[in-house]
Amino acid sequence: MQVAIQGPWSPLLGRLTLSAIPYTNPILVGTFAVAALIALVVAGAVLYYKKLGYLWREWLTTVDHKKIGVMYIIVGLVMFFRAFVDGLMMRTQQAMAIGPHSPGVLGAQHGYLPPFHFDQVYSAHGTIMILFAATPLLTGLTNVVVPLQIGARDMAFPYMNALSLWLTTAGAILVMLSLFVGDFSSAGWVGLIPLTELPYSPGVGVDYWMWAIQISSIGTTLNAINMIVTIIKMRAPGMGWFRVPVFTWTTLSTNIIGLTAFPILGVVLALLGADRYLGTHFFTAGNGGNLMLYTNMFWIWGHPEVYFLVLPAFGIFSEIIPTFSEKPLFGYTTMVAATFAIAGISWAVWLHHFFTMGAGADVNGFFSIATMLVGIPTGVKVFNWMFTLYRGRLTFTTPMLWALAGLFLLLVGGITGMMLAIPAINYTVHNSVFVIAHFHCMVLLVAAAIFAGVVYWFPKVFGFQLDEKNGLMFFWSFITATAIVFTAMFALGFQGETRRLDYIFNPAWRPMLWTEEAGMMLYLVSIFYFLRMLYVSLRDRVPVASDPWGTARTLEFLTHSPVPFYNFAVTPQVNARDELAWRREHGLDKAQPEAFEPIHMPSNTGVPIIIGMLSLTLGFGLIWRIWWMAGFSLLAIIIAVIIRSFDKNLGYELKPEEVAAMERNLATASIIAEQPARTPLTEAEAH
Amino acid sequence: MRLKLSALKPLATLPALLALAGCDTGNYRLFHPLTAVAKVQWWATLFEAGIMSLIIVPTAILIAWFIWRYRKSANAKYDPAWSHSLVLEVLVWGVPLVIVAICSLISIRTTLDVEPYAPAVLAKNPADTAPLDIDVIATDWQWLFIYPQQHVAAIDELVVPENSVVHLRLTSTAVVNDFFIPQIAPMIDVMPGMRTEDTFDTPDPGSYTGFSADFSGAGFSWMQFHTHIVTPAGFGAWVAQAAASPVQLSYQEFTKLAQPTVNEGNKPSYFSNAASNLFDNVVTAAQAGVVYPVPDNVTKQVASLEDGGTAATTK
Ligand code: HEM
Ligand SMILES: [Cu+2]
Repeated sequence: MQVAIQGPWSPLLGRLTLSAIPYTNPILVGTFAVAALIALVVAGAVLYYKKLGYLWREWLTTVDHKKIGVMYIIVGLVMFFRAFVDGLMMRTQQAMAIGPHSPGVLGAQHGYLPPFHFDQVYSAHGTIMILFAATPLLTGLTNVVVPLQIGARDMAFPYMNALSLWLTTAGAILVMLSLFVGDFSSAGWVGLIPLTELPYSPGVGVDYWMWAIQISSIGTTLNAINMIVTIIKMRAPGMGWFRVPVFTWTTLSTNIIGLTAFPILGVVLALLGADRYLGTHFFTAGNGGNLMLYTNMFWIWGHPEVYFLVLPAFGIFSEIIPTFSEKPLFGYTTMVAATFAIAGISWAVWLHHFFTMGAGADVNGFFSIATMLVGIPTGVKVFNWMFTLYRGRLTFTTPMLWALAGLFLLLVGGITGMMLAIPAINYTVHNSVFVIAHFHCMVLLVAAAIFAGVVYWFPKVFGFQLDEKNGLMFFWSFITATAIVFTAMFALGFQGETRRLDYIFNPAWRPMLWTEEAGMMLYLVSIFYFLRMLYVSLRDRVPVASDPWGTARTLEFLTHSPVPFYNFAVTPQVNARDELAWRREHGLDKAQPEAFEPIHMPSNTGVPIIIGMLSLTLGFGLIWRIWWMAGFSLLAIIIAVIIRSFDKNLGYELKPEEVAAMERNLATASIIAEQPARTPLTEAEAH
Repeated sequence: MRLKLSALKPLATLPALLALAGCDTGNYRLFHPLTAVAKVQWWATLFEAGIMSLIIVPTAILIAWFIWRYRKSANAKYDPAWSHSLVLEVLVWGVPLVIVAICSLISIRTTLDVEPYAPAVLAKNPADTAPLDIDVIATDWQWLFIYPQQHVAAIDELVVPENSVVHLRLTSTAVVNDFFIPQIAPMIDVMPGMRTEDTFDTPDPGSYTGFSADFSGAGFSWMQFHTHIVTPAGFGAWVAQAAASPVQLSYQEFTKLAQPTVNEGNKPSYFSNAASNLFDNVVTAAQAGVVYPVPDNVTKQVASLEDGGTAATTK
């Protein structure tokens, strides 16, 4: 029951032909050359230093939550960079293609990107930033931090954790692959319907978009289950619900959103897939389809998804601001209540993304008020952070600066969000760059929180701090660039510029477009300082104490830096909400355990990465309609799961002497150190 | 209870005036609403921004002040245990609640006022003449305006008489677009197989640009239309001119027009004898599964100097 598709198809290669490789496009050929070069250098270095075995044993097959978190963050940063370049390309195109007489180069009538390319670039930008940059970066941070913060050894399901990572990575690779093999979707990150249906998007672009998201969102859903169970079941003794750190609370609420919302995305994409592959009519305009059903379902996931991103960011602020104010968080209980209020309301506001549908004043009025209700708990949070600063002793480390800048971004994003929530206003700025500026304030707040979190927890994981001097330059250039670009964008919103334009039909927008472009140049400067920060820190590697900041308040800073792979030599007993601050007050923060107990650890396994890579080939086969490849991959995945379920590996045990030795020589326990092969426990030993 | 919007006017305009003092705002089209509907929208924008500023601005100032005041080197009062205050916690919930309540009232009032199907603001002082009905069909990537009472039609040109009320019915042949004329008409989705409506009053004569605000494929960036507000006499003359067009707009003719076309410069064309049921036929056809596909090679050719140039899809 396969639908008719345009172009050639062969059983062996599906829709894939040589013309799918864009070897005539200089931009893509250049990108490919750079990507290939980097890949060669990395592969060469791994082989030269004989690290292939290490890489496989200690990283690619790991089930350690910290290493998985670090790999999530690396994937996220690479994708962040890719999507930034997309953003730069869009800004540059719009700065060039202004008015009917603007010249064109590289085959474009105006600017340098014809719509065929530009539309893919903007679609990739949004898809990547939300799903393959921000999401993995936050998942990575929660992966690293939450088990440490609640005094757990690992996540509840370490194997599933690795599986989540590799599914997300498979999705990210698919998106990258679309650069060099075929095209990406040009229907926006939201998959504008019915543009994504076969008559209007006959190529493989939408399929790339759809399957990349589908595969990675399975990973996100699994991770949500893992996080929820970990937080509910694995807290250290003494950590009652009212002693749970706020970052852990926000992670819990975010993953409840994730668990409930991502399946909706999975279903809506599957139905779209049925339309595209089987010829059904779920979302077509005709034949009984209902295209607004897609839009509704997409945003029933999409709006909670934006809160899925922002809640952990709020959690990061709630850790960092008290630490550098040397004071507990103001209004802990209301903060937790506000978190869950935001999460709860976020399910009931989705229609504000299409007030212009013509639903009538009653429907729009309901969703308008529901949307504005989110402003209440959001306001509460801002006030609570503000009162945390009050009578504090503030030090302006880079994490603190990022957090404070985030507060101001939240204020601007909040006021403009409240404006958009009023239908009468929305009818003038919907789909304009005003909306783009609104949500970039919000997602850049998330980015600020991510940078804050990475700098804040980096020494915990690696045992040395990121260079503050370059970090400051990175901060200031990034924030100034943000201010320039998005002030100009708000102005353009009021000038009536609509979003997603490849060609600027109104020359009056030129000054502000050029201002934006200047801001983009400053972002480039900030990237330079970011890389220099990494370089200088890696070169110098100044070792730090278990609490590198000296004023941290939560449990993760109790254990050593770099954190041993078993997290805590002895599971801590929790006495207070801000456990480390409490211990510091009572002179207990430096106390060392006297006796050790055996530690039960999970063994590494190659199954998750194998399943991940098989999902990659499954996705690739489906995108290009290479049925044998898809079928073989699916079968192999099922077989891998079955084989794994018969695996009797029960993990291994660290003997107390072994732990004691590693506690004396911490370098041997760090997550960078290569561990000796350890024999798994037998059934008898385990009981 | 009716909220007196007018009472709040001076308060709401203040921040906007401050922000704009001394700059030429001619390009800021949303700052200069022309119709009763657009004026309500702009007032709503100002009210909302003003009321939110009442809370956002002081908060921003306080945060900035605390950052300065309580920096470590200032040796200001340090209270390491203070993390709770019942009064403040009631306030942090109470103040936003009040603000949101006010905003909700504004929202409901203005939503009814500008409701695109039947704006309450126009019902207040009804015009002497019946509204002018126009059917709008969005194709890939042009706008067709049909005047059922005048039996004429035009592509990419909307002409309406001054100081009257215009009532639009909208649909699309292919994908979803948004119909929008800044300063004049509120935005409304235009969807295949469905009808939406939009209503606005017309100001004094002038020319404006309307456009599609919802991405609709490769030709989207060129999907504008001219909007001319003219005198009644001018409108009559325009109708006569269109009625003189040799091209008659039958459904057959329409299916040719509706093929993917980029109309660079939005050059208008006119049709006489527009079939009176064309709009309904287009809606029904879309419901029955009629599509106007956009093959990949068309997408690739738009505004591209490769693949055979732009001519293939440009009129
Ligand atoms: C006070 C809180 C907020 C309110 C009242 C609010 C309101 C809105 C409204 C009404 C829209 C629809 C605009 C339109 O398309 O016409 C919107 C769009 C959007 N908002 Fe917010 N928002 C808030 C917070 C956030 C946060 C925290 C995030 C993300 C972290 C966010 C991300 C977005 C995104 C991504 C879009 C546009 C998506 C798209 O069309 O591509 N918003 N917001
Ligand atoms: Cu939303």
